Amino acid sequence: MKRKVAVMCVLALSATMALSAYGCGGSDSGKTQIRFATWDVAENVDFQQELVDKFNEEHDDIEVTLEAYGDEFDTKISSGMGSGDAPDVMYMWNYPSYYEGLEPLDDYIAEEGDEYKADFYETLWDYNSMDGATYGIPIGFTTHCLFYNRDIFDEAGVEYPTEDWTWEDLQAAAQEINEATGTAGFAFMMEPDPYDFEMYLWSNGTAYCDEEGTLDGSLNSDESKEVFQMFQDMEEDGYAVATEGDGTDEFRAGNAAMYIYGSWSIDTLNEDGMNYGVTTIPAFSDAGQDSVSILSSSGLSMAADCENKEAAWEFIKYWTSTECNIERIGTELPVLNSVVDSEGIMEQEEYAPFYTMLEQSAGHTPASFIIEDWSQVSENLSLSFEQIFNPSSLMDVDEVLDGAAQ
Amino acid sequence: MKMSKKSKVIIYVLLTIVAIYFLAPFVYMLFTTFKTEAEAIAYPPSLLPEEWQWGNYLDAWTSQPFGTYFLNSVLVTVGTTAGTVLSSSLVAFGFARFNFRGKNILFIILLATMMIPWDVTMIPQYMEFNLFGWINTLLPLIVPTWFGSAYHIFLMRQFLMGIPKDYEEAARLDGANTFQIYWKIFMPILKPCLIMVGILNLLTVWNDYLGPLIFLQDRSKYTLALGLASFKGVHTTQIIPMLCITVIMIIPPIIIFVIAQKYIVEGRSGSVK
Amino acid sequence: MKKKNFWRTATPYLFILPWVIGFLVFTLGPLLLSLIMSFFDWPLIGEKTFVGLGNYIQMFTEDDQVWKSLVISLKYAAIFVPLNLILALFLAMLITQPVKGVKVYRTIFYIPAVISGVAISIIWSWILNSDYGVLNYLLSLIGIEGPKWLVDPAWALFAVILASAFGVGTMMLIFYTDMKNIDTEIYEAASLDGAGPARRFFSITLPMITPTLLFNLITSIISSFQQVTLVMLLTGGGPLQSTYFYGLMTYNNAFEHHRMGYASANAWVMFVIILLLSGLVFKSSSAWVFYESEVKADNKNKKSKKHTKKLEGGK
Repeated sequence: MKRKVAVMCVLALSATMALSAYGCGGSDSGKTQIRFATWDVAENVDFQQELVDKFNEEHDDIEVTLEAYGDEFDTKISSGMGSGDAPDVMYMWNYPSYYEGLEPLDDYIAEEGDEYKADFYETLWDYNSMDGATYGIPIGFTTHCLFYNRDIFDEAGVEYPTEDWTWEDLQAAAQEINEATGTAGFAFMMEPDPYDFEMYLWSNGTAYCDEEGTLDGSLNSDESKEVFQMFQDMEEDGYAVATEGDGTDEFRAGNAAMYIYGSWSIDTLNEDGMNYGVTTIPAFSDAGQDSVSILSSSGLSMAADCENKEAAWEFIKYWTSTECNIERIGTELPVLNSVVDSEGIMEQEEYAPFYTMLEQSAGHTPASFIIEDWSQVSENLSLSFEQIFNPSSLMDVDEVLDGAAQ
Repeated sequence: MKMSKKSKVIIYVLLTIVAIYFLAPFVYMLFTTFKTEAEAIAYPPSLLPEEWQWGNYLDAWTSQPFGTYFLNSVLVTVGTTAGTVLSSSLVAFGFARFNFRGKNILFIILLATMMIPWDVTMIPQYMEFNLFGWINTLLPLIVPTWFGSAYHIFLMRQFLMGIPKDYEEAARLDGANTFQIYWKIFMPILKPCLIMVGILNLLTVWNDYLGPLIFLQDRSKYTLALGLASFKGVHTTQIIPMLCITVIMIIPPIIIFVIAQKYIVEGRSGSVK
Repeated sequence: MKKKNFWRTATPYLFILPWVIGFLVFTLGPLLLSLIMSFFDWPLIGEKTFVGLGNYIQMFTEDDQVWKSLVISLKYAAIFVPLNLILALFLAMLITQPVKGVKVYRTIFYIPAVISGVAISIIWSWILNSDYGVLNYLLSLIGIEGPKWLVDPAWALFAVILASAFGVGTMMLIFYTDMKNIDTEIYEAASLDGAGPARRFFSITLPMITPTLLFNLITSIISSFQQVTLVMLLTGGGPLQSTYFYGLMTYNNAFEHHRMGYASANAWVMFVIILLLSGLVFKSSSAWVFYESEVKADNKNKKSKKHTKKLEGGK
């Protein structure tokens, strides 16, 4: 017994020693070390690793290491920034939360000349800025579009959605499909992210708040209430379903004929071999304007306390270059006008609507960029929206929104 | 003890009912790993895959450097288990078998360290390990366990408190010193408990992903649990590979559990004689 | 002589020295810093300002969520802790029965505790999905319309409890190890005295395992207040914030809202609550926890007398 324990201890100790050696090696190559954090997962990370390797080969003096955190990206970045040890370069979308820890990039951009900046889609810069300063270079984006299941439409004998649709058209189609096939005609989220949902208010000519960030008068305006009432009515009438998740699963499984989502699901739908179509979001007939989408954009940012800013900028330039934009087609929608033209993206019918939505969506600023403690407000809004859409509450729209606006 | 046929039947019925509750989700998960993703989310759900996708496991394993992750997980598990069992048993012995000044207050502090949630001490801890230069090594995951874990100490203390005083009194009469009493008398008695603590530690460490997430950076240092968690993306989750790796990850702890069971069963009376 | 005395006094401290060092080096600093943070407005990045008791005052006077979450966590603890203890005890009893094949069952009962939390919560969210979940599908086959588990606030807490009871294997293992520790001869003696199974359980097994019962009670109180991962992945605090546990609120304040100071105040209030509850349990424990090492020669009760006799015989 004693001997066994002694042997075990020696083994464990030597393992620990070996580990410490293992943990410390490899950092003294004399190159400038750049840490680069991404939120992508699995195969996409392998793909990014290839691009990083390529950069490292081309640069004798810089070595970039890739860190992949998936869904836990925020926890990791928060703890890194909170303890003054954030990655040098990182993916970023939530600028209102993190911009104080990021390096303003306007001077770097100016040095590259006007053409550099002009090649990016204009609207994307707004989403990568905060208080007039640019904190990220756009890498990818998605707008939201209407996905529809062609098979279910065919089965019900209903015409496919078009760019000219209004919500009335969608409702009529959804109802018809539901009556003919028994499946839900339309699916939307029971607990939508308030950041995303604001696009419907924009489409109907309002927003969550005014320029000062006051909710009262905007969130509880008639236009806003009309939007919420419309979704609630669809649910109550039974031909639309409010989903627990984002709706992709229901759509893929053929349990819903239409839903609205970003380009994230295109890969999965293609892999499933699904017979689907994509078009722009329907418009509100009284609004007198095209529908508007929120942008979910990803940019590349530099940490404010990064020690090798030149090297980091070199890498950011590479990662946002024409070359990398082309390489990323299939995982990200390109953000450069030149690439969209040269690669014929607009001819691909599953991608084109996202760019149409992008063009229609200029000139709106999400409430998250206006309201100072957005994350708290967002949590409250989220609860209010759920009160309206959760089938076990389905609370009165007027009452909830008036209450939330106070 | 002899058991009547009737009570045997009752026991089997009970065992089976509970087994179904515990096994059903697992079996469902196991069969799902052989489905395509589309089939996995289909409704109405089916138990058996239409066409067995044997390749799922290989795809999952090769989608990330899981070989490296596996090695790291084994290193952390081995590196912590012996350390925490030994050190915790020493400390537990101190708390359970002696009276000394400050014992109560120290024990309360020990318990108190379990009561502060990790989310608020995490950032200070990160700063500290950063100061030590331990970030992006496995050291923050291993070294602290060599100084005992409050959970294990408390658990072993409870076991040690359950052993009558006669044991050390008899040994003391034979001229044994305190350390010998700890090592030669109590460690053998405590063997089932030590093995159990080893198993519990293995589980905690094997499945822990928050620690690795915070303290590790590049992928060559990741553990299996962290690799598993990173199948879950912000907008899409790769559900099938995730479940495959989950199933693979269950195997080593279960094998160890099956082997270790034997030693737990031996019990106290077995090892004293 | 003096030296010997010194060693006698020092010995216990030497035994607990590893923990004391570990505590001073690894734990104390972060604990203190988080306590200090709780008196600051401490955003993730940028200026930290001292606010004195401001965070604590805000918690109790302005933030309704604190009370709501506290009630949810208390409710959860009140159901989960006894349920889990009873279930673990019951299972441990089952797997100590000397029947054929019990080893296999033992492993089966243990499997769920081995599965990683991330996968567990995904599986459960599939099973419990109210429109397209397996459980409601199975119920529909026998003509029952299942509840909207994760959508209906009345059911969601129950769903979380159902899923968390899945991990009872750890506690079961602890009880099991302890039960295996009980000398079988005691049971045999009791059987000869004509004690039935129920009697044997209540007058031998239960008293003998009270030390681990105390352990499981304390640690499950702690873990039920700190429950974060499962709810975060399974319900995200919903539906309608009905499972917005105190632990999840603390986590969100820290990592969603980046209010580290406020989150620290949350955590320290939780600490005081757990400490008080544990203190109560410990205070009461002298009445129901039975440590053989504390048995005095003059007030041995019947059971321990029997037991000691057996042990003496066994030596």
